[in-house]
Amino acid sequence: MVDRSYESDFWESAVRGRRPESRRPYARDDQEPSTTAGGVILTFVALLSTVLVIAGLIYATGMSARHKAAAAASFCEPALFITGLPCINQFMETRQYEGIVNPAIQQLISESAAYTANEHHNLAAAEAALNAEVSTEHALGTSLSALMYTPQSKAASVGLITNAASFGNPVPMAAVIFTPQITVIADALVRDLQALAQLTGEQARSSSLSQLRSFNARIRAATIAVQGEMQLVHKAVETPPTASQEPCAPCI
Amino acid sequence: MATTRDYPQDLYPGDYPADGVDTWNEREQPAEEHRPQRRPARSRVDEWMDKDVKFLGGSRVKRKALALILLGAPGVLPLFFMMPALLTLNENTFSVSVDDTLGTGAELCLFLSLLVTPMITLTGSRWFFPLRRWYGILMACCGIGDGIAAGITDTFAGGFLAKLTEHTFTLVGFMMVLLVIPLLLTGNPWAQRKLGKYWKRLHALIYVIWGLLAVHLMTLEGFGFEQGNNGSGFAGDGDPIFHQRLYQYSAASLFLLTLRLPPVKRWIAAREKEGRRWLIYATIGPVFALFIFAMIFIINEELFKGINSFRETPSAE
Repeated sequence: MVDRSYESDFWESAVRGRRPESRRPYARDDQEPSTTAGGVILTFVALLSTVLVIAGLIYATGMSARHKAAAAASFCEPALFITGLPCINQFMETRQYEGIVNPAIQQLISESAAYTANEHHNLAAAEAALNAEVSTEHALGTSLSALMYTPQSKAASVGLITNAASFGNPVPMAAVIFTPQITVIADALVRDLQALAQLTGEQARSSSLSQLRSFNARIRAATIAVQGEMQLVHKAVETPPTASQEPCAPCI
Repeated sequence: MATTRDYPQDLYPGDYPADGVDTWNEREQPAEEHRPQRRPARSRVDEWMDKDVKFLGGSRVKRKALALILLGAPGVLPLFFMMPALLTLNENTFSVSVDDTLGTGAELCLFLSLLVTPMITLTGSRWFFPLRRWYGILMACCGIGDGIAAGITDTFAGGFLAKLTEHTFTLVGFMMVLLVIPLLLTGNPWAQRKLGKYWKRLHALIYVIWGLLAVHLMTLEGFGFEQGNNGSGFAGDGDPIFHQRLYQYSAASLFLLTLRLPPVKRWIAAREKEGRRWLIYATIGPVFALFIFAMIFIINEELFKGINSFRETPSAE
């Protein structure tokens, strides 16, 4: 007689959606559970893992050298990174700040000298000097505002740094922005600059030389406030790196 | 917090039937004498852990409770790291680093939750079983927190939903958050009792989330092939391979997945029956080492980003 047990198993599986009895692992009484598949899988995974761990450990030994090479390639020095701003170091921050402030200060000094030379006898020339001062103060405020740390400026900075690194280029100075801490001080400086510019503008609209000179005391007080804020920002950005930490000159 | 209260045994998602992987039901199992030998319900370690010890002030507490608190406490770190930014409503910290702090935290919690079952399979001890639920809850909290914060503070264009759906990786992340909500709501003994056999099926969604995480990380960092822009590793980093999240995920998942495969579990049970536990450890050892290797980099990422977030000087590196 033909053994139809397998067939009945098959139909049972088809109708009930169950796997045939005879095909289940270790289903028969005389059959030990099959562990071959498990052994093969585990052996393969264990060998793969061994290779990956060994490769990983070998690769990890070069980690320090790769960091240095990558830093050199992107002209960055990780030791000097300001937290949150990859590749932007203190040195770059100082250079960027001074690059904006120093020319503006020189400009303001010469405009102030022009005003002083004309304040007693030439109203038009004094007013022209004051208007030039207002423009310089506004421009300085705008330039400093562009360095402020905001989510948007940070995202833009990170984008520029990443792009530069991807193409093996130096980090552009446009990527340099203030840290959140310096931003707080710089914000006060910008407000004081705006107040000074407003006052200078009022002075420039004077109708007589005596009215013009009457602003001098207030202008002096406002200028002192601005200079005080400038010193604070300067102090914040200017933490000179040690000699061993100064490889970043080529990145500017 | 991790509880030492035991669930009723019949409500335990079985460690042997491989939560959701093995679909054989009782009726389909082989005769009793040919089933792989189950471990005794309580191992010696379980019994040792159940004993009381004197704690602060002379009060008695179970060793298990102390061990669970110690092992479960690190799970709150991702949420703790974001706490100062939350209390001061620091939008910048959320915008820059919430995805790294809470997102990586959710990934870690998921892996630690998934680690419990393989460890039960390997050690035969069950005393750390409550950690599975604990880390699952924390994973859900971190994931949901990440989703909400990303929707509010991300720099992408548009409103809350637009921010969560306009990129492939954010869309996948959003799907994961949606899937984790029912798991969080039903991750308690009451829901387990009410849902009965459907509870386990519902909680098999964790495997869908596990899979979606792979897609999320793949699309986040250039399918594992890109560096810098759209990839891992920043300028000056020098280690885009170790910092590639997809690689970390894959290396960690290999152990978690392998130990869930029914043939592998049968092989382990058979070797145990033969008394060749050393062979199990020798074979699993390299896979576990790879898991630890990957976890080191994920934990490093979490601590680096988390501490910067805690100081509210978030790092976008």
